[in-house]
Amino acid sequence: MPMPPMEPMMIVSEILFTILSVIFCFLIYRKTKESYELTKYAGIKYFRESFLFFGLSYVLRFLLGLTFISSIAFDVFLPRGHFFLLFALPLSYFSTMGIFYLLFGTIWKRFDGKKMIIIGHTIAVLMCLVPVFTRSHALLSILQFALLIAAVVLSYTTHQGKLSKMKLLYVLVAVLWLINLFLLGKPHPMFLEAQLVLEVISLGVFYTIYYKLAKWVA
Amino acid sequence: MIKKRDRLEVIFDILKVISENYNSIKPTPLLRQSNLSSSSFAEYYKDLLAKDLVKELVDKHGRKYITLTDKGFHYLEKYRQILGFINEFEL
Repeated sequence: MPMPPMEPMMIVSEILFTILSVIFCFLIYRKTKESYELTKYAGIKYFRESFLFFGLSYVLRFLLGLTFISSIAFDVFLPRGHFFLLFALPLSYFSTMGIFYLLFGTIWKRFDGKKMIIIGHTIAVLMCLVPVFTRSHALLSILQFALLIAAVVLSYTTHQGKLSKMKLLYVLVAVLWLINLFLLGKPHPMFLEAQLVLEVISLGVFYTIYYKLAKWVA
Repeated sequence: MIKKRDRLEVIFDILKVISENYNSIKPTPLLRQSNLSSSSFAEYYKDLLAKDLVKELVDKHGRKYITLTDKGFHYLEKYRQILGFINEFEL
């Protein structure tokens, strides 16, 4: 089936969204640098590094998307087989670690930190095998969604059945990442409005976290 | 095992005691005013030295004094903000 024409608006919104998301992620990472350096507090370390991982993931997601749409949108052919793995491997690793570190930030006091990190890295490396064998980022987002559900259940049980507003915000960061990843490379115009809404919500969540952070950390 | 939230508070208290003593206090009064056991104090003190929050000075009579470093003063200033951030973000 021939691919539908690419909406220029989709490309513009995708570029703007990526730039703003990455800026927010790196601002959050940078703004917490001093607090971490002063205290070496593990919770701050996990929190800030999760946003570093998400920032890198959004950059790689954009580059991966570029290989999908290059021939449709710009009439430039990028060999998808080569570029897919180049971007998909680190994307799988960074985004899985981003989800893990958001979780670690909230549960680190109740678990052995070293074991937690080893398990996280091992699962993230295993996740890298998904795009190698399936050549699909969609399956990766489904597996990460399953991982996220397990993370939410673990966090929920660790905190004796309490799920605060802040934890919901963390879940939103991860869920929106997964939807954004899942919809990558689906250039049908029917997705345009959904994509715009999704991007606005995602940026709203990043802004909310940044705003809350800026109240405390100058 | 020492809880991490408490740990930040204890560090703040030790630094505050030093600051309130004109930034110069001997180890024994500091131990007493910190309300910690000797072993806990030794652990925290080692940590403070390692993090470069305090330093030891020895006067001409060989008496040891503990003072805050610039980083220690900075920690005192920033502590409430950092604690607010940790609480709000449930870290």
